[in-house]
Amino acid sequence: MKSDKLQDAIGMVNADLVERTEKSKTKHPKFKWTAAVAAMLAIAIGIGAYLGNSSPFAVKAYALAEAEYPTMAGYPTGEMLPGFDDRYAAWREDQKKQRAYRGAGENLDGFFAATVSEFLGGANSENRVYSPLNVYMALAMLAEITDGESRAQILDLLDADSIETLRTQAHSVWNANYSDDGAVTSILASSLWLNEDVAFKQEALDTLAKNYYASSYRGEMGSNELNRALQAWMNKQTGGLLKEYISGIELTPNTVMSLVTTIYFQAKWGTEFSRSQTVDKTFHAASGDVPCKFMQQTITYGSYYWGEHFSAVNKSLKNSGSMWFILPDEGFSIQELLTDSEALAFLSSNGDWENCKSLKVNLSVPKFDVKSKLDLQTGLKNLGVTDCFDADTADFTPLVTKEQPLWLSNVEHGARVVIDEEGVAAAAYTEMRLAGAAMPPEEEIDFVVDRPFLFVITGSDGLPLFVGVVNQP
Amino acid sequence: MMDDERIIDLYWQRKEAAITETKAKYGRRCYAIAYNILRDRSDAEECENDTYMDAWNSMPPHKPTALAAFLGAITRRISLDKWRRKAAQKRGGEFTVSLNELEECIPDGKGIDDRITAASLAEVLNAFLYTLPETECNIFLRRYWHFDSINAICARYGFGQSKVKMMLLRTREKLLTYLEKEEIFV
Repeated sequence: MKSDKLQDAIGMVNADLVERTEKSKTKHPKFKWTAAVAAMLAIAIGIGAYLGNSSPFAVKAYALAEAEYPTMAGYPTGEMLPGFDDRYAAWREDQKKQRAYRGAGENLDGFFAATVSEFLGGANSENRVYSPLNVYMALAMLAEITDGESRAQILDLLDADSIETLRTQAHSVWNANYSDDGAVTSILASSLWLNEDVAFKQEALDTLAKNYYASSYRGEMGSNELNRALQAWMNKQTGGLLKEYISGIELTPNTVMSLVTTIYFQAKWGTEFSRSQTVDKTFHAASGDVPCKFMQQTITYGSYYWGEHFSAVNKSLKNSGSMWFILPDEGFSIQELLTDSEALAFLSSNGDWENCKSLKVNLSVPKFDVKSKLDLQTGLKNLGVTDCFDADTADFTPLVTKEQPLWLSNVEHGARVVIDEEGVAAAAYTEMRLAGAAMPPEEEIDFVVDRPFLFVITGSDGLPLFVGVVNQP
Repeated sequence: MMDDERIIDLYWQRKEAAITETKAKYGRRCYAIAYNILRDRSDAEECENDTYMDAWNSMPPHKPTALAAFLGAITRRISLDKWRRKAAQKRGGEFTVSLNELEECIPDGKGIDDRITAASLAEVLNAFLYTLPETECNIFLRRYWHFDSINAICARYGFGQSKVKMMLLRTREKLLTYLEKEEIFV
């Protein structure tokens, strides 16, 4: 029969899919989050002098415009309830619409590689997390409100030949990574916090609202009300994951505008780790051995990737992208990897890589919760974005009606990634240490992530949402 | 019943008790899979016994993460092979109906590209199955992995026949579209 191969292939699907068919009744899916990640970037634009008396009344922060995100049908549940077919069809239709935006960020590899190397390099023994997409979105918005050389430097870094090209691309990238269907949450949110004593050009604000889905709020800079409103907005957008950093963010009276972008991403593993297989093992951190919980799973039809100085495997996220674990070869450090052009190219390849072999992968990865707060100012200057930071050279003419010296006073990036197992399944595991990353064996490999490693979390369209260094889980 | 991990250890220690324990715990399940395909008691028993032999030869080197699914996959493969050898002589029954349904997932006048192995096709199927709602996926696998009859599926999930048939039809259509997009056919 012409379906013979299909019959055989069905017999080889993942064991967890077969296991769950043993249950007599299907429970309604419950959403258990496994990968929960968030990042924020706060850019403050300051001016040289205090602006003078503000309103004598307590001013409440008020919204000038709230961004309207595309509506998205909820992930359909309740197969046994009436109307399931319609709900399912509506969901599929909306997914299709978002898919049409994919591929817009294909030329961003250079930006990703340069910034990953710049912002994650020099981590020494601490953990670092960076969201390339979050920073991309903030820089694109910054390009909108600058002009002249200030803008040209940003366009160069983002590899865009004009602001119009960048605007179109950023709009597509935003949409390609947007998901809010109850199963996968991935939102690149932006907001502008405006000084009520400054006259802004409406056109610039409209462009940011329309193309970047940025909400704008206005109030008294330095007031408790505005600070609280800003922190509440950031906490809401990042699911409370970055509270610790956000509580320290305050707007000073001479801030003209603060541009804040966040990304919040939650997704379930394609196949969850079994809690019963999580074991205590040793992680060989640079600063010494540390005990750690390791999640373990066999990926029957896994893929193993390798380069001259690293090896990598990925684990898919349900209805979304993947999480990639990249191990430097023994004797090769994370810092060396972050300056290795081949490894940097791999980080944004999303698996489009020649050295790849399909085999059974016994994955053992530490549970971790890593976070970091980075000041991107020096890094951005090293990458050629210099004029914005200097009152003499910064050109913010598209933003304000009155000519006055403005400059970028602060660029803070905070991010956190939490992963765990969620769910239960039967599993067994054999441990063998992997040494070096030469050609893989024929059929099976043990991938034990027990020393400092890099990770990448890609979204639906394969762009890197988060990249991180884990020196100590 | 012995837990799976201990049974697997017995295989690795080359102790024949592995077979006894497997038979006690999973014998009926393997037999049911074989019987669904072959509809013949002695053939089904033979496939069940062949499953133990195959498991004995596979462990080591394998250490399956889910023993039930691992054994079931062996029984299913052996039984399908047997059925294909015998198919020329006798066709018909529920199992043949389900195979004919699967043929609908391949467009008229086309076939699966020879260069695509069953293992790589299984990867594509995994990706497809994870996109499905859980019930839809379960019913698809009950029908085409376990080869359950429509009646058995109805009883298991408490659905009417038309609902199950419609659900299967819709999943097959989705699969056809998915496989076309993945350029599986030539």
